[in-house]
Amino acid sequence: MNRNELYNIAETWFKEQKWKPFKFQKDTWTAFLQGKHGLLNAPTGSGKTYALWFPVVLNYIKNNPDYKTKHKKGLKAIWITPLRALSNEIKQSAERITKDLGTQMTVGIRTGDTSTKERFQQKRNMPDLLITTPESLQLLLSSKGYAKVFKDCSAIIVDEWHELLGTKRGVQMELGISRLKSVSQELRIWGISATIGNLEQGREVLLGPETTTLKNSVLIKAKLHKKITVKSIIPKEMETFPWRGHLGLKLLEDVVPIINKSKTTLLFTNTRSQCEIWFQKILEKHPEYAGEFAMHHGSVNKETRVWVEQAIRNESLKAVVCTSSLDLGVDFAPVETVIQIGGPKGVARFLQRAGRSGHSPGKESVIHFLPTHAMELIEASAMKQAVKHEAVEDRIPYLNSFDVLLQYLTTLAVSDGFYPDEIYKEIKGTFCYQGISEAQWQWLLNFLVMGSQSLQSYDEYKKVAVEEDGKFTVTNRGIAMRHRFQIGTIVGDANIVVKYQKGGYIGSIEEFFISKLKQGDVFTFAGRNLEFIRVKGMQAHVKNSTKRTNKVPSWMGGRLSFSAQMSELLRQELYTAALDKKQQSIEIQSLAPMFKKQREESIVPKPNEFLIETFKTRDGYHHIFYPFEGRGVHEAMSSMLAYRISLLMPITCSLAYNDYGFELLSDKKIDIQEVLDNNLLSTEYMLSDLQKSLNSNEMARRKFRDIAVISGMVFTGYPNKGIKMKHLQSSSQLLFDVFKDFEDDNLLYQQAYTETFEHQLEEGRLRLALERIAAQEIVWRTCTKPTPFSFPIITDRLREKLSSEKLADRIKRMTAILMK
Amino acid sequence: MTEAIQIHNQNFKMHASGVLFWEEESMLLISDVHLGKVSHFRKFGAAVPQQAVQNNFTAMDTAINYFHPKTVVFMGDLFHSSLNTEWELFEIWVAEQSTNIILVSGNHDIISPLKYEALGVKVIEELILNNFLLTHHPEERDGFFNFCGHIHPAIKLTGFGRQTVRLPCFYKSPIQLILPAFGTFTGTFTLQAKKDCEVFALLGDAVLPVTLSESKRKGR
Repeated sequence: MNRNELYNIAETWFKEQKWKPFKFQKDTWTAFLQGKHGLLNAPTGSGKTYALWFPVVLNYIKNNPDYKTKHKKGLKAIWITPLRALSNEIKQSAERITKDLGTQMTVGIRTGDTSTKERFQQKRNMPDLLITTPESLQLLLSSKGYAKVFKDCSAIIVDEWHELLGTKRGVQMELGISRLKSVSQELRIWGISATIGNLEQGREVLLGPETTTLKNSVLIKAKLHKKITVKSIIPKEMETFPWRGHLGLKLLEDVVPIINKSKTTLLFTNTRSQCEIWFQKILEKHPEYAGEFAMHHGSVNKETRVWVEQAIRNESLKAVVCTSSLDLGVDFAPVETVIQIGGPKGVARFLQRAGRSGHSPGKESVIHFLPTHAMELIEASAMKQAVKHEAVEDRIPYLNSFDVLLQYLTTLAVSDGFYPDEIYKEIKGTFCYQGISEAQWQWLLNFLVMGSQSLQSYDEYKKVAVEEDGKFTVTNRGIAMRHRFQIGTIVGDANIVVKYQKGGYIGSIEEFFISKLKQGDVFTFAGRNLEFIRVKGMQAHVKNSTKRTNKVPSWMGGRLSFSAQMSELLRQELYTAALDKKQQSIEIQSLAPMFKKQREESIVPKPNEFLIETFKTRDGYHHIFYPFEGRGVHEAMSSMLAYRISLLMPITCSLAYNDYGFELLSDKKIDIQEVLDNNLLSTEYMLSDLQKSLNSNEMARRKFRDIAVISGMVFTGYPNKGIKMKHLQSSSQLLFDVFKDFEDDNLLYQQAYTETFEHQLEEGRLRLALERIAAQEIVWRTCTKPTPFSFPIITDRLREKLSSEKLADRIKRMTAILMK
Repeated sequence: MTEAIQIHNQNFKMHASGVLFWEEESMLLISDVHLGKVSHFRKFGAAVPQQAVQNNFTAMDTAINYFHPKTVVFMGDLFHSSLNTEWELFEIWVAEQSTNIILVSGNHDIISPLKYEALGVKVIEELILNNFLLTHHPEERDGFFNFCGHIHPAIKLTGFGRQTVRLPCFYKSPIQLILPAFGTFTGTFTLQAKKDCEVFALLGDAVLPVTLSESKRKGR
């Protein structure tokens, strides 16, 4: 069958649906059928699934002209989705095509939710089209004889690639693809990504830099212009609007008319605890919504979530409070309005959420921005500009993630074993490991076999063994079993299942929260008030309670930093504070009372000014710097500056930062004049000072947590299996200390530092920011009390520490608080 | 390096490594060494640095050479798990010692007492000396002052400028002294200070009494 005949099949199908294929869809079909690889840039709800499922099926038809009567069994394509919740939707669209075109192709799902029985059946008889997650793909690679399964696979399609790109799951994908490239000769590699700043790099990471695959690939952009309108909810009384906070409940009543006006409204919150609180408060104040108001977040049990999603689709809900759990996939046509509560910390995410509303073609998307504190109105104003300019963030891919590589190598050793020479060539071709050295590779192999570099006589280290012909394998069943349980790179705190005492699953909470509860404590979870009874195994038993409570489980939400472009927009918006009212956005206009207050003792900086404020409260001496460069840069700058100050005088600082500025809090006054005289904000020796500062704070230590789990150094236990492995559990903190003391040349230990350095601190931007500050006039104001600008920073609880004092000197000034 | 205390007219020295020396009895108390833990982890595929194994033994030697005790009492959890190659190192270590060695067994001590006795190490459930009671688990018994381990105590200190630090410690109440965990690869459990208790924090090279204070700030 030639290509035109194939297109006819597709276009006829579209006609039958009364649709017309978009250009990007046809372009993708052509490229795919030409045997090309590629990256498709298309937003959710644009028909991207049909852009790629179609050529997969058409390709099968091409190779099997008697496809209507005969069925050629075996895996044809793999569809990777980052969220297993999306897999059903993808399956339905695939089945629509396979059935309507009269093929006998089968579609299957394989995720963490798939039953053992089904998995077993799949192993014997793979579906033609398989929908799975990055982790489940790794699991397939850990089963014996996987090469045979993938032999005739014609395509791997990675959906929502932008979500994976800057994460270790993305690295896991790179590795999986590097193996499949060798195993399946006919493989086409495709990614689908929403708009990100570094799309080209995204393609390079997916396909491998400087590979023939990349040369034989295309980047297709959907170019579907959608009108997005951003409306800020402006507080009516600015004088009483809070200077800090993250809940936004003050504006609860302003949300009600918006909800009432539209069919279905999604309220996006940034954390699950915020989601719980909003849900509770709205129902408390407006009981009339009961029954048509729901909540959706990652810890709510699956049945409830599916029910909510279904209810949105059939329009039986007025509003849903949700978190990023509803960011991706799933089209909700009835959603008319979206409200973002608090800064979304990212233009891409904001656009994605906005796109959740007004799905019908030609309709505009409306998103309301609800500020939770005054400074966020500046952010709202900047966000409008960002939406206009599509100033979307980059997703920075990882380099040399040795933890993920060790996990992957163990995976291969667990299944059919591997020969190092063969695998080395493959991983050298990936983006992540393009720079790996021969020496590092040898180190990793040694680590797998001997647990470190030198073998001592009394050691019983057991993991991977080398066979006579040089094949690396795992023969120990216990190790293989534990490894399979551990596969996956999303690291969370240990999760505890919350259940009613009489049975009935409610959801799961991080162990950290549960560990702080005493019997009889009441907390809010999944929209209910629950009384804590006890922890048994990996389960927390609870019962319903009528008591009121303010205990809400907190989840450590990811804190994204503003991009360079967004920070620039933020500064531009701030600078308009000095302009005439007519030249200001309504958000900036509304902030007039706050600016007035800010100017009482300090200033609102102009483009040529760099503001430093100092004041004392009962917490200590506050020293606040305002570069307006985004969280990541501030984190680095504060760490570096604190380190440089600590060289001048013995001092202990606690550091806090947000997207506007950073604080050094100390029990002693820092002489700012001395800081300026010594030119401590210089770019000279920036790199080495930054590196040294990492040794004296905890950032790397925190990074090590994920590394220890991913590389298999820390065993997290069997989730939900109730099997306790207490004798093998240790904290990664403990491990970090042991490495620090005894094996600081360990690549995994060092990775903690390089990762902090390269991934978190954005060294390049720090340099530019320091250069910009060098050209500014420094305005240092000593104040008698906190200014409005300083408030969100000084009240931040998440802090970094840095000290150059002797511990003994420090603790002489400290006390232990007595229990009441 | 040490901090002296008196309990019931007897003299004790707390050492920065976490051991306690009883002067009148010439007895050194060492708690929660968790030997074999590193090897246990390695045997199961977690590559904890091997050097940590040796560190436990050198640290014990240092403490013993500092006090020259007649008797060494391990306050339980001497071995983390079942027999592994670290036992051989322990055998060699015991052979080199000229002191009496006693093990007050703890919940982790599942190795047969016969193995210990073959080395000349006495294994007992508890040790009573005058009005002092030595156990692994904390116990309250009328008329006795209790020395124990098991908890791996640590204390959180706070100061002006939102400073905090967490350190392993000796935790003393009027009837009890809980020893810190001695082992290299062991964690800690943070205790809250109570009225009429005393806390001594380990700083690595020193033991310092901790100032206790009522919380000044309400609602924090």
